[in-house]
Formats: sequence, structure tokens, C-alpha cells
Amino acid sequence: MLRTPVYIVCSPRPAVGKTLVARLLTEFLALARGQAIAFDLNLGEPSLVDFLPDLTETADISDTYGKMALMDRLIVHDGLAKVVDLGFHAFDEFFQMCDEIGFTKEGDRRGIEPVLVYLADHSRMAAQSHRMLRTTFPTTALIAIDNEHVLRGDIPPGFTPARMLHLPALPAFLKTYIDRVPFSFTGYLRDTSDTSAELYQWTRDNFSKLRDAGDNLRRYRV
Amino acid sequence: MAKPAVIVVGADKGGVGKTTVARTVLDYFSANNIPTRAFDTESPRGTLKRFHPSITEIVDMTTTSDQMKIFDTLNSADASVTVIDVRAGLLSPALASLRDIGFLDAARAGQITFAVFHILGPSIASLDEIAETASFMNGAKYFLVKNFINNTSFFEWDQATYNSYFHRIKDATELTIPKLNEMAFEQVEVASVPFLKFVANKGIKDEDENYSFVLRGYVRHWLTNVWNEFDRIRLADIVGGKPKGGKATPPAAAAVSENAASEVASK
Repeated sequence: MLRTPVYIVCSPRPAVGKTLVARLLTEFLALARGQAIAFDLNLGEPSLVDFLPDLTETADISDTYGKMALMDRLIVHDGLAKVVDLGFHAFDEFFQMCDEIGFTKEGDRRGIEPVLVYLADHSRMAAQSHRMLRTTFPTTALIAIDNEHVLRGDIPPGFTPARMLHLPALPAFLKTYIDRVPFSFTGYLRDTSDTSAELYQWTRDNFSKLRDAGDNLRRYRV
Repeated sequence: MAKPAVIVVGADKGGVGKTTVARTVLDYFSANNIPTRAFDTESPRGTLKRFHPSITEIVDMTTTSDQMKIFDTLNSADASVTVIDVRAGLLSPALASLRDIGFLDAARAGQITFAVFHILGPSIASLDEIAETASFMNGAKYFLVKNFINNTSFFEWDQATYNSYFHRIKDATELTIPKLNEMAFEQVEVASVPFLKFVANKGIKDEDENYSFVLRGYVRHWLTNVWNEFDRIRLADIVGGKPKGGKATPPAAAAVSENAASEVASK
């Protein structure tokens, strides 16, 4: 059985597009693999669970019970692709815990494929945290997202374009459209008849990139 | 034949983590393939015995017959290392007994390796024990163990007090036991298995268990740090640790990986 992917969509900064990427990823995995599950760690904010209530569970890692409830699910090799939408407030706590409990090593032993999906931005904190992930989890695939809305075409120092996944900016009216609950990318692809529409092309293009990245994770390792 | 080694783990104060430290020591020797036996002086119930039943015997150190059971068998026992978990309040009397039976003289003469792990509590009374215990320590390796497992502080915030106790004895070595996540600690208590078996997800009789991955991770991380401390003081070398089969002693901290723990735990 192929390894079970666990995507952790993360950034130490708010409003860089984590939930958008987590939505795209969860919907793509559910479409490609038949099923997927997402864990939303953005308590108190409009987030993944609002868009994908049937595929998403909420989680809270502020205490040991919550950590057990989440991590004991993530470490299971059951073929069910998993996506964690990690709120910026939980970034440090989550990765400190992963380091302490040896999540990546144990995952490797159990047939889990952890993939870090990191939303880049121009702040110093983002560069530091990216470096920290590289050094703390050197064998884990780390895909940096070049969100055009955030980076505006300018790759920050420390990021390697070849290991980045470009997320093109959408026009404002389409951005507003996809941010309206309960918009679903898969539902849109199924329902729309105009395959030349910009949003259709944008969604298909991003799904293709996610599939390509998932098939070539070696490219995203150090 | 290796010189017998006796390690006393004790404190005059209760609840400072004596048995916890004794358990980590037994796990460390187990991982290093050093044959070890243990005596638990929590007579008649025994706490250490609950976690390491196959190598632990409950004794009453105040009785001559049990003193004979421990010390008259040092050379004849299969295990070259003897760990004694001394119950609260008995450390000073136990050391006095050892002096009276000539054990401390034998240690001073180099016939026996003798080490004391003195677990400290966060009170001045506990620190006062250092001076009292130190008077017995000629010829012994003396380790002052700061056990942070229950969030203790040791007057580091008051350097005068700290120095007056911790720097009073020249040959004492400080040892730090870091804090372990409370829930992980409780779960190991409930499981009643050695830390190593918990990490390896094994039960009392080596059956597969289903302990939380998170809690096992916390215990593994913590045990690695504790063993790093034991490696730092070269504990395996102190007890003349040649593993059975004559291989070099592996660095214990590296051995606390999932697979290694599983192998060691099943021994």
C-alpha cells in the first residue's frame, strides 16, 4: 500500500492564504483519491470547516488531550489522505510537539508521508520559520507556496523557486466569489459549462500542480 | 569478573522522585545490556517492583537479614550492578548502616564501586541533607540530582542560597532530570511498565499495547534527555559496564529510538 500522505498547511503569519490552499488541497485529494479528511486548527476564525463541513474536523492542540486526539489520528497508515490547516497561532506549538514526539521519524516507520506546505511571505518571521522547518525536519518534503496575492511576483530570499508552487492571483471579483461560503472548487468544476472561464482554468491548473507536486515529492526534499 | 557496583537512589524527603530516577537508571542499564538487579525498600508494598518485577526484590533495609541479602550476595549475584531505591527518610540511616558494616571502607579501598544518587527536593530542609549525606561520601561517587519532573526550582533565583548548598561539596556532580509531560507520566504509571516498554508500545508481558503515540513520543524525548545526562556522567563506565557478549557499550541516548526500544524492552 502506498504511503498515506499527511499535508500540513502552515505559516506563522496570518492572512497569507493557508485556508485557501488547504481547501484546494482537500478538495483535490478527495477528488483524486475518492476520500480525504481535513483537520482545522483555526478555532475562532472563519475557516476550513465552514467551507468543507463534510470533510473537516476541528482540532485544538492547546492541551495534551487535544494533541493526542489529533496526532493519534495523523499517525495512522490507513490510506486516507489528510490535510491539516494549521492556524498561525498554533504554528510554534505544533512543530515543537512534532519535534519532541518524533512525528516524522515515526511517520516514516509507519508508512506515513508528511508533507509541509508552507505559505511564504516577505516577513523576517516567515524566513526564520521556513529555515527552522528545513533544519528540524530535513528529510520531510517542504513545498513553499508562492501565493501571488502575497508575494506579488517577488520571491523572498531563502526560498528556492524550483521548490515552490506558484498560486496565481485571481481578479478581485473572483476572489470574493470563491471566498463566499459554501463555495466548492469541485462543485464548481462539475457544474460549470464554460470550461474556458478564468476560474475554471485557475482551479484545473492548481489541481494539476498539486497532483504533480504529490507525485514528485522528492523534488521538495533538501 | 567485574567489580560489583552498588547504586543507592535516595533522599530523606518524600515525593521528590526517587523511584522515577531509579526506574530511568534500570532502563538505562537494560538498554546498555548491563545485568542489573534492584532492591526496593518500600517494604512491604514496593513501588519499583511494580515497574520492574523480574529484577526487583522488596527488602527492609533496617533488618540485618535483608542487609545480608543485599550485600553478602554482591559478588555471587549474576548481576554486576545493584540498584537500591531507598525509601523516604531512610537515606541517612542506610548510609550509616553501610558504614557500620564496613561497606563504605570497602568502597574506599576500591573493592566495590559505590555511587549515591541523592534526589533533591525544593526545600531548605532537603538541601540541608546534602551536608549530612556528604559526610558518608568519602570513596563514593556522589550525584546531586535536581529532579524537575514535578516543576521544582532549586533556589537558582537566589544565588547565595544556591551556592551555599550546591557548591559546598567539591566532589559532588550535579545531574538534571528534566520535566516529563504530566499526562505521559500518569499514563506510564497506569500502565505499570518500564519507560522503555512504554516507548516500545509493549505491555507487562511484552504484549502489543495501544498507548497514545503522542504520550509515547513525550516519554521517548524525555528519556533520551535523561540518558544524555547519564552518558554525560559516564554512568555505564562508572559501573564497569561491559555488556554481555563483550560488545562496546552503545551510547544509550541513541538507543531510545522506537525500534531499539522495542528490542530492548523485549529482553
